[in-house]
Order: sequence, then structure tokens, then C-alpha cells
Amino acid sequence: MDGIMNDISQTSNLTGHNVEGGFDVERIRRDFSILSRQVHGKPLVYFDSGASAQKPRAVIDAMTEVLQDQYTNVHRGAHYLSQTLTDRYEGVRGKIARFINAPSEDQVVITRNTTEAINLVAATYGRSFLGAGDGIVISAMEHHANIVPWQLLRDEKGIDLKVAPIDDRGVLEMEAYEALLDGNTKLVAMTHCSNVLGTHVPAKEIIRLAHERGIPVLLDGSQSVVHGVIDVQDLDVDFFVFTGHKLYGPNAVGVLYGKAELLAKMPPYQGGGDMIETVTYEKTTYKDPPHRFESGTPAIVEVIGMGAAIDYVTAIGMDKIAAHERALLAYATERLTAQPDIRLFGTAPEKAAILSFIQEGIHPFDTAATLDRAGVAVRVGQHCAEPLMDRLGVDGTLRASLAMYNTTAEIDVMIEALERARKLFT
Amino acid sequence: MNADFKITPEKLLQYDEYVEALDFLDEDSRFEYIIDIGKRADKVPFPADCMNEAHIMHGCMSKVWIVHELNGGAHFFKGQSDAIIVKGLVSIMTGAFSGLTSEELAALSLDHVRGLNLGALTMQRQVGMMAMLKHMQKLSRRADIAAEVAEVTAAAD
Repeated sequence: MDGIMNDISQTSNLTGHNVEGGFDVERIRRDFSILSRQVHGKPLVYFDSGASAQKPRAVIDAMTEVLQDQYTNVHRGAHYLSQTLTDRYEGVRGKIARFINAPSEDQVVITRNTTEAINLVAATYGRSFLGAGDGIVISAMEHHANIVPWQLLRDEKGIDLKVAPIDDRGVLEMEAYEALLDGNTKLVAMTHCSNVLGTHVPAKEIIRLAHERGIPVLLDGSQSVVHGVIDVQDLDVDFFVFTGHKLYGPNAVGVLYGKAELLAKMPPYQGGGDMIETVTYEKTTYKDPPHRFESGTPAIVEVIGMGAAIDYVTAIGMDKIAAHERALLAYATERLTAQPDIRLFGTAPEKAAILSFIQEGIHPFDTAATLDRAGVAVRVGQHCAEPLMDRLGVDGTLRASLAMYNTTAEIDVMIEALERARKLFT
Repeated sequence: MNADFKITPEKLLQYDEYVEALDFLDEDSRFEYIIDIGKRADKVPFPADCMNEAHIMHGCMSKVWIVHELNGGAHFFKGQSDAIIVKGLVSIMTGAFSGLTSEELAALSLDHVRGLNLGALTMQRQVGMMAMLKHMQKLSRRADIAAEVAEVTAAAD
């Protein structure tokens, strides 16, 4: 393999930015063959990693290897294949634990995605420990995945869903947040990094204020885990959820990290095989966490693919990825704000490389279609965050979400395409 | 729908014109052609009071409104959207398939939409174009039923 896993220390100046400390974007790009394809006759510029990131060859190879030479079911059978694949599968749990600095791999529950992880907490912790009149605090910049599960719980149990506001930059209003932590609030469930605005919330402060009042905190780390180093012990977070497919891994794998004492007192989520100790018609007993929450045959191949993705980004270094993305964000922000017709949403001082914007006087769909003609893939619409769109006062935005494999030259391509849109539509 | 039913070719002259014009263009020019049609459609009045929930077509990334008129047994459509490209696409669809009976409209299929060759070009893929056609088919059926009811009611009076 001649990509990043082989040698991450070499440097290059191909894109004219950043190669200090061994981060070589061109070398990384070679591990993602899709990035060398064309779209509408133009080189693909993939700015939609916030929706789902591309997968490096190491992930594809790991999955292919399992399917071709190692495949069987896990946690069952005494035969060689089952034992070796179970070891490899369970090894990923350890990788995930180390990746987010969880104290134990027993605190890592493997789910299908972030959405399932949040639903799991709502259906088990929420149903067991929240009742009528209790409150849950979310923020005004949540993905639907961190709104709707709590609404279902609200409708079932009569709890109160409270929304901490943001200012016009997309920064969480901390005083208003603290005011919501009243005697009734029993849980805070908040994005760690907004999928629309890129805002990094002050997680440690959010958690500290909640803990002072004995309130546990769930952080939705779908975006934050991709853009920086996560340390769940340093955060002292009670639940941390994220998904693999945004972290350069495959679909169908997500993670719920939970504090051991919380997981221990939560009832099972779904019933079935794999999560039980003994079953009789009269009584069934359940395994301890994390297996208590994992019923049925898991996404074996995908979990192993996610392990490869974690190896991949770890070999590069999440801190180096974050530094590269900070440089991209600064460049993209400068170029976009220099345009006469671009309105940028989300200007928090602490933010990830996610840029939401509209072109004044042009429907976002028209802008996106013009970008698409130039080979630039961005997301357009409400980004699964309809209430946030209402707060911003728009029907939808364009969103360029940048990743470790993007370059400043690609940002220039997007800017040129925006200039073309301006000529075509105004 | 009667599978053997054939639409009289002269009923699809406008459709044929669009097919010919689009076929002649390369992809980039086709993109600009649709934008031009969308911009021109802006100049044709669309009843402002029809840009409401009653005429909206759900399921689009942009808003699409379609109004309909039954005249001498034939159905006529006009479309509007808040996005120029979609306005161009809906103008092509309503222009190409106006003047048909509901039976003729029902005989239109995905092949007719594919024939326009718009799907590969824009983000509003064939699914969206097909959704527009289905919406027009639904409007025509509804109008026919309403006309029949009105006729029966009038006869009863």
C-alpha cells in the first residue's frame, strides 16, 4: 500500500498549504480512489462529508478481506472461523474505546448509527428514569436525530422538552442554558458540534453546569468525532454517541458510550439473540452491558471496516486532521465572505470546517445545481434541522462540509462555480 | 390504464419540439437552455393566489405549484417554482403535456420523461420529473370526476 498508512511522515507541497508535521493531503487523497473520478466531465470536489464521508482503501480492503476469507457469524459457535472473527470484531470495541479514551470497552455499545444510539438512551434510560413533569434540555441547533426521540418520549411520558437558544453567530447562549437547568431538568442532550453551523459547543462547561445539579449529559458527537480529538473522560460526559460513516467508515455502525453505572442500571433496548444469558418461557435473564443492548447478528463486516477507519485516522492523527481542517475553514471563510452575494450562517469562534451559506437572490437549489455541474458536491436543503432553519429564517441553505482529504484548490473551484451561478441566475 | 391505448402524435407536437431541441444540445448548453426557459417562464403570469398549499406539489427540494384547467375535455397545466431550474423543468413538463385528455395523460410513462433527456442533467432527477407527471395525471383524473359529478348534478336538477 503506497498511501498514508505506509508512510505518513513524507511531506509535499502540491496544494501549496500545510504539510507541517507529516500531514500530506495528496498522499491521503491517493487512498480515496473516488476522489480522482470525474463528475459531468469535471474532477469531483467532494464537500459533502458531513452527510457521509468517503472511505479509504484500508477500510474497503478490511471489509473485502472479511467477506472473502474470514466471514462467519460472531459470538456463536466453537469453530475456528467464528472464534477468530469474534476476536477481530470485539477488537474493534477496544479500538473505539481507545479512540475516545473510554475507561473500558464494556462501556462501548455498538449500534447502527447515531440515531439508534440516541433512541436507545431515550427508550431505556429515558423510559426508566424520566417521568411526567421532568425536563430534557436540547439546543436550538440539533439534528432531528436529537429532537424526535425526545419528542416521542415526551408524548409517551409527559416530559418537558426545553430548547437552549443560540445567538446570531450560532453560539449557544450559556446564561439561558443555565437557566433551563432548573429543578425539573433530568437530562441534557446536546450536539457537540452543529451539523449545519459547525459550532463547537463549550462541552466541558455545559457538562460541569449540569453535573453541579446532578443532571447527566448526552453529547451527539456525530460531527465532533470527525473533526478533532475526543476524550470522554476529560469531558466527563455521561453518554457520547457517534456514527461510523462520517468517520470514513462504512454505514450501519454507530456507537453509544455510556458511564458504567448508567449503562448498568438501564434495561435492554431490543430483545433477541446475543443479548441474553438464559431464556425460558417463564423468565429471561440478560447479559451485562454492552451486550445487553446489542440484540441479533450485528453488522460484522461494517464494524470491522469501522475499526480500519479508526486505525486510519489514528495513524494520521486527529490533531493533524483538525489542524488541516482549520486551515481549510479559514481559507474557505475568507473566500466566501469576499463574495458580494454570499450570506454565511454560523460564525462561532469555535467551529468545525462546515460552511452553511446562501447566495443572495438565488435559490439554494439553483446554486447547488450549478455547483454540481462544476463537479462540486454540496448538500442543499434543511440538513435534518428544520427548527434551526426556522431560527435562521431561511427555507434551506447550501452546506459545504470539508474533510481531511479536501484542499484549498477545491475551494477555489467552488468559488468559481458560485461566480458562474451569479452570472446565470442574476 | 389500457396498455394498447396510443396517443395521437399531433397531440405531442410540443413534447417532440422539446425532445428535438434538447437532443441537439450538449449537456452544458442543455443546462443553460433549462435556465433560459425558467427565466422566460417568469415573464408568463402565474396566478399569485394559486401559489398556496392547495396547488403545491409536495416532495420537492424547492417549492413547485401546478395549476390546471379543463377545457373541452382537454387538460391544460401551468407550473411555477421558487427555483429557476425547477421552473424551467416544470414549464417543459406542463408545456409538453398540456392539451391531452386524462386517458392520454394516463398513457404517458417514464419513457416519455426519459425521452426529454433531462434526468441526467440536473439534480432534479427523473424521479422528480416523474413525480410532476404523476401529479398532473392525478389533477386530470380529479377534474374529470368533478366534471362528471357536476354533469350528473345538473341533470338531476
